[in-house]
Amino acid sequence: MRALIAALVLGCTMLITPMALADSPPEPDTAAAETQEDAAEERATQFVGVRGPEAESIPGGALLLGAYAIVWALLFLFLMRMRGLQRQTAEELERLSAEIRASEGR
Amino acid sequence: MNGVHQSGSSTVWSLVLFATLALFAATLYAIFVVAPVEQQMGIVQKIFYFHVPSAYAMYIGFGVSAVGSAVYLLKRDPRWDALGVAGAEVGTLFCLIVLLTGPLWARKAWGVWWTWDPRLTTTLLAGMIFAAYLALRSMGDAGEVEKRFAAGLALFGLVDLPLIHYSVQRWRGVHPTVITGKGGGLESEMYWALGLSFIAFTGLAVLLIWARASVERQREESARLRLELMHR
Repeated sequence: MRALIAALVLGCTMLITPMALADSPPEPDTAAAETQEDAAEERATQFVGVRGPEAESIPGGALLLGAYAIVWALLFLFLMRMRGLQRQTAEELERLSAEIRASEGR
Repeated sequence: MNGVHQSGSSTVWSLVLFATLALFAATLYAIFVVAPVEQQMGIVQKIFYFHVPSAYAMYIGFGVSAVGSAVYLLKRDPRWDALGVAGAEVGTLFCLIVLLTGPLWARKAWGVWWTWDPRLTTTLLAGMIFAAYLALRSMGDAGEVEKRFAAGLALFGLVDLPLIHYSVQRWRGVHPTVITGKGGGLESEMYWALGLSFIAFTGLAVLLIWARASVERQREESARLRLELMHR
């Protein structure tokens, strides 16, 4: 009987000890680990929007290049469109004048 | 006599064209070599040298369109209608440039692409009014009713122009007021770059309106000939 009780105590000790150790919170090692943990916890619990331009780095050079590219591209497209319109109108005027001359000849 | 007039007109056109091209070269030199980089915003501030003169060219375009439309309503002369169409198209082109280059600067300066600031909103409204004008005029050959309605729309758009200009002074907004009476001004090199850009954009706007009005007059002539042919 004593042997059975001893076996039960030993078995319980072997089962409970690792579980008890696993549930206990780990000891914080350094301040950096603590900060990382805080950031991770913040990410998991709340979303915070960016406030103001200083919160992120925006490439000014790329924006400048984009702006000047837009200006030249739009001007070029406008000129191309106008050239096409002018050519089309000139051809139509030529055709209509020829038709009028032909109808006068009849 | 007509030939002499056309030749003179062509010479003036060529002179304005070469002057504008030379001015654009000088403007780019002044912007990127002479004018310093702005302390707070950095290099993105250089968008300002094309953005503000584009807004000014937009005023020229829309103003010419309104004047052409008003005279057309009074005289019913198709040459003024052609000027109205040309001004509306060129004004809309520069309005589009303003509305696209502005957000690129705003992204860096304000942290957002767009905000419903009074000046931004009124500029967008002017763009939409003249876009409606162009949509109306692009539906095939415009008849007399469409032309008159479009002319009225251009005059309505004209009312919005002073609103754009004075919105930053009258209403509280976030748009900069650097070169207005309330602003702190610019450095002298910056003024030079901006001044040159203003002249270059004025030349460009005049050239584009001139060329577009010429094409529009040809289209009017083409429509007249088509009508004449139909009645034979």
